[in-house]
Amino acid sequence: MKKLVSVMIVLAVFGIACLSFTSSASADEIKMVGVITKIDIAGKDAKTATATLKDNKSGNPIEITVNDDLTLDKFKDHRIVEGDEIRCKYEVIDGKNVSKYFRKTAGC
Amino acid sequence: MTMKGLLATVLYVSLGAAQVMAADHPGRETIEKNGYKGPETCEECHPGTAKNFLNTVHWKHASKVTNVDNLDPKQEYGMKNRIYTFCNGNDIVNNLKATPKNEKGKSKLTGCNTCHPGDHLCDVGSCGTKAEAAVDCLICHSSEYDYSKRKPYTNEKGQVVMSQDRSTKAALAIGKPSVKNCMTCHETAGGGYLIKRGFAFNAENDVHAAKKMVCVDCHKTKDHKIPTGFDPNNWANDGVRLNCSGCHGEKPHKDADFNRHVARIACQTCHIPTTGGAYSKDFTKWTKLPDGFYEPTTLQKDPNKLKPVYAWYNQTVKNEPHFIGPKGSRKDKNSKIYPFKVYQAKAYYNKLNGQLLSMDFAPPMATGDTLAGVASAAKTLGIKKYEPVPGWQTIYFANSHLVTKTKALTCENCHAPNGVLDFKQLGYSGKEVQKLTSPTIYFDKAVQKQKEKEEW
Repeated sequence: MKKLVSVMIVLAVFGIACLSFTSSASADEIKMVGVITKIDIAGKDAKTATATLKDNKSGNPIEITVNDDLTLDKFKDHRIVEGDEIRCKYEVIDGKNVSKYFRKTAGC
Repeated sequence: MTMKGLLATVLYVSLGAAQVMAADHPGRETIEKNGYKGPETCEECHPGTAKNFLNTVHWKHASKVTNVDNLDPKQEYGMKNRIYTFCNGNDIVNNLKATPKNEKGKSKLTGCNTCHPGDHLCDVGSCGTKAEAAVDCLICHSSEYDYSKRKPYTNEKGQVVMSQDRSTKAALAIGKPSVKNCMTCHETAGGGYLIKRGFAFNAENDVHAAKKMVCVDCHKTKDHKIPTGFDPNNWANDGVRLNCSGCHGEKPHKDADFNRHVARIACQTCHIPTTGGAYSKDFTKWTKLPDGFYEPTTLQKDPNKLKPVYAWYNQTVKNEPHFIGPKGSRKDKNSKIYPFKVYQAKAYYNKLNGQLLSMDFAPPMATGDTLAGVASAAKTLGIKKYEPVPGWQTIYFANSHLVTKTKALTCENCHAPNGVLDFKQLGYSGKEVQKLTSPTIYFDKAVQKQKEKEEW
């Protein structure tokens, strides 16, 4: 019985360690460069938007949630538009890829 | 109603009226009725403005320069024609055009004059009625400018044209330029976001922005002539200058000891203790991007993440092939100690005469072949004999934004043996350095401040 309890405890500790590792890994910043294929923003007063980027490396579409005012403003007045190439850093929060850095790659 | 209440009401009503006036630019009905036709609409109330604008740095990208060594006083200098290692090209060699195709078969329209407020057919320094009609007034004056309408395209004659937003909607939202109007061009100068000047003008990074000030509150413009400071690497100017004392006076502090410093220490030295952006580039080796295009290899930091260097500066500039930076000394009474962002970059020099060679970015952007860029620029500039050899150039940029009050340097930041100022390098003797770095000169004051802080 004692042995069984010990094994259960070890398994539980291992499980918690795995879970905590997974959650900290998902909070890490992920970097990518990609071209915007779609921007979804609901009107002039929107406080959030979704941009879909085609990852230059994998070719996969990645949906990014954008909440910062500066980038939202750039979506609204079209300083950033579909077709622009973006350097992006994001974190996975509650299953969403939340942007932490969203800049056009090109300057002048 | 009390007197205070009455005054507050009057103030409130006046401010409200002022806001309404700002929102409703006169001429609204005319624009609504007739639509916006470019500068000719603006000229109905502002006659002669477009013509005058053609004579400013924002249109010419150049001016006569009187404070820089080794220049021809009869010539105009600026982004139009300068060659230095942040923008190794200029409007002439990097004229807006299509790059050759890259390995993925893609080409793009790019060039230094992309930000010029014309339509590219009327370009940097052009003049005449056609140029007047080409001015993009709204890109600086509208808060509703749709930037997707401003992009380069090739017309049926094969010319590259920069389109503009001339919609009625944009024209009905005109006013004094906002921070966004200015930063749309200025934040991406030099090939990327905040890399050239390395400052963000927002509440987080600048005390003036935190007070809701906009660029043109300091760069107060008259007849489209915009005052600038004396950045050793920003030569073109409209003949009007600005400095901190214009608003803050010559004795800006309550503390007389701090005010004494103003005679030889520039305000920026204490109030802008950080800098940012690119601090080094290599134009001889470009980095391949995932989209198949290349860009100069660049080392950069975010705003506030770099420390400036300090030097005497009398607002005249040493301009040599390997160095562009401040002149001045402790002995020169016109000199003050200023902070600078030091930037170093590698590019090609002409072995035959030691001069820095220019580079057309289009070829290396497509293929990474930097010598093809040098060859193209040499052809444009009519340089027939040259031998390219890599070399480094050091540039001192002014550090004039990222202003702070709460994080300003104070006594011990400079007057400690490990302080930010290298007094020996700045021309002080060993004995003077010993005195300048002793707590004797600030101890009593610091004790007093410490007590005030600790008092509950």
